[in-house]
Amino acid sequence: MSHHYIQFTDVHYAYPNGYEALRGITFRVTHGEKVALLGMNGAGKSTVLLHTNGLLLPSKGEVNVGGIPVTKKTAPGVRRAVGMLFQNPDDQLFMPTVEEDVAFGPLNMGLEMAEVQRRVREALARTGAGGLEKRSPFQLSGGQKKSVAMATILSMEPEILVMDEPTAELDLAARNKVIDIISRYTHTCLIATHDLDLACGLCPRSILIDGGKVVADGPTEEVIARLKEMI
Amino acid sequence: MERIEKAITSLQRMQGSGPESGLHPLCLFVITVAYLVAMLSVPVSAFTMLLWFALYPVVMAALTGLDFTRIFTGSLIALPFALLIGLFNPIYQTRTALRVGSLAISEGWISYLSIILRSMLSVQALLVLVSGKGFTGLCRSLESVGMPRLLSTQLLMVYRYLTVLLQEAVDMTRARRARGYGRRHLSMKMWGAFCGQLFLRTVARAEAVNRAMLARGFDGRMPRYQPVRQRWTLRDTLTLGASLACFALLRFVDISRIFTHLL
Repeated sequence: MSHHYIQFTDVHYAYPNGYEALRGITFRVTHGEKVALLGMNGAGKSTVLLHTNGLLLPSKGEVNVGGIPVTKKTAPGVRRAVGMLFQNPDDQLFMPTVEEDVAFGPLNMGLEMAEVQRRVREALARTGAGGLEKRSPFQLSGGQKKSVAMATILSMEPEILVMDEPTAELDLAARNKVIDIISRYTHTCLIATHDLDLACGLCPRSILIDGGKVVADGPTEEVIARLKEMI
Repeated sequence: MERIEKAITSLQRMQGSGPESGLHPLCLFVITVAYLVAMLSVPVSAFTMLLWFALYPVVMAALTGLDFTRIFTGSLIALPFALLIGLFNPIYQTRTALRVGSLAISEGWISYLSIILRSMLSVQALLVLVSGKGFTGLCRSLESVGMPRLLSTQLLMVYRYLTVLLQEAVDMTRARRARGYGRRHLSMKMWGAFCGQLFLRTVARAEAVNRAMLARGFDGRMPRYQPVRQRWTLRDTLTLGASLACFALLRFVDISRIFTHLL
């Protein structure tokens, strides 16, 4: 993957119950950009994120990641490049111990055990979750779960980071830790959030979605002003 | 609700690797299978032979650093079923099997006690196995003796689903209590709705977990994270050999009779 960009071209998506979540979304996030995805509840932000690594496929239009159109066939390859942080860490953590959970992605990538160990160690250290290796993910606090969930993504060393509400339900200290990790991440980053301070602090550009359509795309301050008008 | 939370804790306790027994998972698995075969094949009438097999869970719990009280308490789950299975034996098998002083004990009572003991010992042996190596370890052991990987993945998934199911049940019970205004029990009609909602919620959660797994490259096979590969050692061979010899001895020789003769 030569360029870590995400391109949505006229993407439509309807859930099996008929609800049309995306109605012609078009935008491009270029290499190294940090972009916030803003919008009200049910606007379609999470649906957009699920399209970036082929967990959902458009019913019309095209999603292209780093020059590769996301299809059922290419999705496994795309997922190696796109790390996705889910909103609820309970959904993201499913292995018996923290270290096994963090190792899950790198092992699926077919890496050598020594390399997997290095990545597990480094990812846990980066997210401040070092020392939790042998703990069960279910016994952790909300902040710790989020840190470990973040480590599960960073251990895959993704070229593109996609996050759904990374600071939701976190206390100030945990929130600051997450912000610190994102700010030090140098690759392409797409963050769906209601945290406007986070959007202002980290993302020079924002995309505002409403009713499954892009209604504003530009500098974050301007997009937030538009969002406030809508409210 | 406390009971559901306790069940989650028990499940989580079993999910990990458990205390490090040092034994190879396959060794512990083979020992357990051999124990079950030997113990369950003891004739019903040879109750005294069966009693010696009760030592196994105690010894294994001590060797693997497990709390036997917890193992014993866990095995009580089988008790109601065992009590029901042999309920009519004392009624139909009335022939006297042995006398203790003036008390005549019928064959029915012996077989009834035998069923109860066998059930509890079987569950205890399985609990020692699962607690010793964790459910994951157990699945890996089954894989190493030829069980298809697909099946062990399915087992691990079912295990994960159980946790999700119980977590959702706790959340729903809490929500109901918060708005139940002291009403303790659900009506039959509400039970139906509760179970339906629980199913829908767990399916939604399971889908979300599956998405998270796919996002990290899951291709239908659970990868194995083993930084230090546990090898089969001389200790495993010796333990296995000694265990098999003990089981054979307990199965084919009535040690109680030998002791009685000696005394």
